[in-house]
Formats: sequence, structure tokens, C-alpha cells
Amino acid sequence: MIPQAVLDEWYPVGMAAQVGPPPGRETMLLGQPITLFRDSAGIRVTGPDGDLAVTVAYGHVWACLGTPAHALFPIPEATQEGRRLVDCGVVRVKCSPLRAVENFLDIAHFPFVHTDILGAEPHTEVARYEVQIREDSDEVWATKVHFYQPQAAKSAEGGIVTEYMYRVPAPTASVLYKTCPARAGEWDVIGIFVQPLTEELCDVWPWMALFDDETPMADLIQFQQMIFLQDRSILENQIPRLLPLDPGMEIPTQADLTSVAYRRWLKRKGLTYGAQMVAA
Amino acid sequence: MILYDYVLSASCYKVRLMAALVGERLDLQAVDFHPGREHKSASFRDLNPAGTLPVLVDGDLLLTESTAMLVYLATKAGGWMGSGAVNAAQVQGWLAFSARLGASLGMARLHDMLHYPVDIAAVRRAGVDCLRELESHLTEARFAGRIFLVGDGPTIADIACFPNVALAPDGGVALDDYPSIRLWMRAIRSLERFIEMPGIHRLHELKPAPEAV
Amino acid sequence: MGTEWVAVGLSRDLPAGVAMPALWQGRELAVWRSASGKLSAWNDRCPHRGMRLSHGFVRGETLACIYHGWVYGTSGSCIHIPAHPDLVPPATIKAETFLCVEAGGVIWVGAAGATDTPPEFAGYVPLRSVATQADAAALAQASGLEQAAQGLLGSTAAGGVCLILSTSQTKTTIHALAAKEADRVALSRWLDGVVRRAEERVLA
Repeated sequence: MIPQAVLDEWYPVGMAAQVGPPPGRETMLLGQPITLFRDSAGIRVTGPDGDLAVTVAYGHVWACLGTPAHALFPIPEATQEGRRLVDCGVVRVKCSPLRAVENFLDIAHFPFVHTDILGAEPHTEVARYEVQIREDSDEVWATKVHFYQPQAAKSAEGGIVTEYMYRVPAPTASVLYKTCPARAGEWDVIGIFVQPLTEELCDVWPWMALFDDETPMADLIQFQQMIFLQDRSILENQIPRLLPLDPGMEIPTQADLTSVAYRRWLKRKGLTYGAQMVAA
Repeated sequence: MILYDYVLSASCYKVRLMAALVGERLDLQAVDFHPGREHKSASFRDLNPAGTLPVLVDGDLLLTESTAMLVYLATKAGGWMGSGAVNAAQVQGWLAFSARLGASLGMARLHDMLHYPVDIAAVRRAGVDCLRELESHLTEARFAGRIFLVGDGPTIADIACFPNVALAPDGGVALDDYPSIRLWMRAIRSLERFIEMPGIHRLHELKPAPEAV
Repeated sequence: MGTEWVAVGLSRDLPAGVAMPALWQGRELAVWRSASGKLSAWNDRCPHRGMRLSHGFVRGETLACIYHGWVYGTSGSCIHIPAHPDLVPPATIKAETFLCVEAGGVIWVGAAGATDTPPEFAGYVPLRSVATQADAAALAQASGLEQAAQGLLGSTAAGGVCLILSTSQTKTTIHALAAKEADRVALSRWLDGVVRRAEERVLA
């Protein structure tokens, strides 16, 4: 049985620009077969029990199998003037959708998995940062995250200490804000929107809203795909595939405070699809 | 030299890797293979009617087959082609074999990663057949004290076969059962000037543990 | 006779400074050899975030996880966490370790408290390891070898051979040993043929 709280959330199911006329595209959401297509009424998503609630935002189609508990989370930067919005396509990963999000929240792996791009030895230390579950918006936030990066973005020349903020506004979506190399005082925004196909299989749709008028679109997309594909071989080799919410199963450190808060938030809200409660 | 490139393509990586190993600088032109399918666009097909990647342009020369690019880069640099009739013939044999790897393990990877519609069981089975042949060959090479596919040193045969083998797990084909293949991949990854691609991580052991900052 | 031991690989396939995956009684292990040659077999899972340690990297006498670089000494204890370079990791962070020894060029993993020693195959040298979907019975039939305590034993046109069989739910791993005077290339090809014939029977 899928908990009602899970069914009542929004999940990404495709890129809006790719939705065509019937028969459309068949995919899956929380183990259920669904179909996306475009007709005179706009973009529709149908499941075994008829039409699903649909929202189109941030380049993607979002659907809800139950009754939406709230509107889709806001990303105010998506409408900020001067930003380029980049749909990065999809990558399928054999892992829990929650593990995909948790990896996105993690910086300590940069020197070992994104070597010489997002991190490099000996700059491995993760300084203390701040984490909170914001009660007003019901989101997990990490702020004042700093990390040394050899090549923080496609437009970055040479190493810089990058500042990050992370937020988890939905169980399988995360948005990060990072130092913008091209425009001091602004943040580049990168989201990963994870479509839970099943508890152990997901489609990941990265998306970006950047201040970068120089770099060709194909380069921006490939930079993001390169980063995410470096993570994929990690995500497919974590044991167990499900995210353990049992505190005894994995050992976090201070660098993992965002992940600790994310797991606590999931547990508190009963968003346990893709999670494992007790050690198997 | 301009390489029309897609960062996740095993065939494009063959050429990037070969160029890095021989010290040839490439001007990389990113083509939006996914999600844009730019390689199938009319303007890209004006360059390469086959609508495939990679494409290598050097002055008037335009190459659209990655193995041809390996031959070009290696011949220009010297070495890497296998010397003598036997080795040269064996190199050609492995270049043909690399096409089988692309059609099996390569397609399994595109299926598992980017939703390519293929008979996944069939391509994985064909991929395992290829891996077994490769493992047996490399095991025999090791009996003779060799580690590379042809002769005593690395050739374009190794570079042509390495990417789709190393990326096999991306397509759901594990390499756990192939000890000789793993040691061969390690030898390639240890070559001076070797570069990675996503899915093939750095051999961190090649550098000593860092001193504290 | 060492019945408490299971062969998980051949020494020749695990040089110093290398980690590899192995299966032991259905458990996934990371088997690795330090720079000085010390052999270890651990649960293939980093206690931090569950990443397979067999994907890790060996530096000196340590194995590090590829995900966050956590460094483990040969005892299995975590001795360094790169994200917190000044922290002395608590003793509770420890990879699960298994008994692991080499004998006659074969790597063996034993149950906790194993009191005897692994079997020795005098007169044989390691040939290669091969995995197959075929089971022991099909391999016996296809090879024409005699059943022995740890697998199959006998002679072929290429020379004497001993096949140590390690079975799991998903596959049979053959660790083949060759008689010292045997033709290794011919024997390796003979083994490929045995596997093909045994699998043909499974499919048929």
C-alpha cells in the first residue's frame, strides 16, 4: 500500500516541450502506468483511474496521483529576468528516488566522484553549515555551505570557493543555489526533479536557471549531464537500493546534516516510498 | 581539429581519449544529442548525412566513423597501430569487434540510461558473449605476460574496445565475473595522459594520499 | 579437509593495490590486497552510505570508499574521513570483516571461527576463474571430470585440471587450476568449451 501522503504529492513526469499529441508517451509514476499527451485542453496525464491533476512548471510536467495536498512549490528565480532556463533531459537510474535526491544534497563526495570539476583532494573538508526544516514552507534548507571547486560551472575559470544553499521542497525534488561565476551577488539555480517510477527505479530530470549569456546551450546541458552521470554509477551501487530511515543502518557525520534533516523530514511526513524503515 | 562531440557517447569518448593519449588538442563542439536530438537535425546532417556522432574535421578531412578517427590520430602521432602483419591484422579484428560491443553493451547502456527502445535481454546477452570472448583472449595474453589486446603495448584496438566495456555496468551488465578484463581496464586507466568520462571514475590510487591542507 | 572454506578468487587476479568484488555464500564481498600484499575480505558495503567498497581505491595499507573517500585500515576500522580531516573516527565505524587466506594461489574465505585450513591442491597452479549459469551437475557432465570434495578433478588432452566450484543462487563460479605441466592456453580454451556445452544443456 502506498501511503496517502505519498500519493498526494507532485512528481515530475516529463519535459513539457516533449509532450506530443496522442498516443503520447507512456511512462510510470509510483508503479502505475501513466500516459502524457497534448490535446486541445492542453497537457494531460492519464492513469489507470482517469485524468491526474497536472501542473506545468519549470519546463516540466508535474502530476499527482491522489488529491494535491498543496500547490507545487515555488521557484521565484524561474521568472527572474535575464536567466536562461535549461531543460537537461532525462537520465534513468536504478536506485531509490530518495537516494537520488540525497546524493544531490551531498557535497563531501565532490573530490572523489566529480574529481577536478566540483572538488579535488586535498580540499576535502566540509565546514560546518546550517540546516533547518522551515516550518512555514515545510521545506528542508541548508545554508552557508562552502566548498572549494576547481571548475564550479561551465563558465568558471579556475578554482573558487563556491557557496551553496540547498532546499528540498518536495519528496523527490531538490533545488540548489550556488555562487554565480558570471554575476556577483546572484545565485545560479539548479534543480533535480526525480520521477519515482518504482521504489527502486527513477527518471531524473535536471533543470537549470542560470545567468550565462555566453555558453552555448549544448555545452550547458552537457556539463550538467556529465556531472549527473558521474553520480549515476555511485547511485546504482549503494546497498540497499532503498534509502534506510533506520538510524542504525548508516553512519552520518556533521557533513551529512542536510541528509539527516531530509531523512527526518521524510519520516515525519510519512513520505516513505523508496525508503526502508527497518534494517533488512 | 574539431570534434563534434557528445559527452556521454562512448564513441565520442574513444576519440577524446585517443587524442589525449597522443597529446592532440581537440576543439570540442558540443552537439545536443539528448534531449535536443540535434544530431538528427537537417543542419547537422548537412555536415554528416548519417546523423551520427562523433564527427572529426581537420582542414578538408571529414571523418564520421570513430575507428577511422583512431587510425588518423594514431598514424599522425606514430605507434598505436600494431607493427607487423600479424599485429596489424589483429588490430583490425578488434576494431570490428568494437562495433559488436557498441551494438550490444552500447545499446544496453542507451536503453538503461536514455530510454532507447531495444530488446534489452537480447542486447545484454550479446554483450555477455562479447565479454566472454574478450576475457578469454585477455586471459591468454596474461599467460604470455602481456596485458593489452595486441602485442606488448597499447594500440587503437584497446582504445576502440575500452569505452563500451568499461561502461557495461551502465547498461546493467556487471563486470564482476571478468578478472582479466578488469586488469586490462586498469592498465588502460593507468596510461599516462588517460582521461575519464562520466561512468568511469578516476583511479585515485595513482596519486598518493594528500597531505593535510 | 577444509570444508568451512569457500574459494572466492585466484591470487593471480588480485595484484597488490587492487580491490575486487567476490561472492561468498550469497554475500557480496570486497576482497583487496594492500601495497605490502596483505589480503582482506570485507562486506562489500561502506558503513557510511552503503556504497560498494569493491569500487574503492587502495593506497598503501588502506582501502578507501570511492563515494566520500572514507579510509579503512586492514583491521576494517575507519581511520580517516576526508570531510573532517581533523576528526579521529569513532571505533564504531568499521567494515564487517571475514576470514580470508591464500593457499596454493587460491583466495579462500572462511566462516567465523573456522578452525581448519583451506584445502591444498599439490601439483596444480591457478589457471583462471569463469562464471556460468550452468550448475555443478551440468559442468560435471560437460567436462567428463570426476566429482571431488571441492569440485571436479581429472585429465584432459591439454593436461590435468581441477575445477573448484563456488555456487550461489545466481551462478556457479569455476576457479580452475592446471596441472603444472599442462598447456594453459589449450586448457583455458577447453574450459570455454565445457562452459558452452554445460549451458547448452541448461537452455535445452
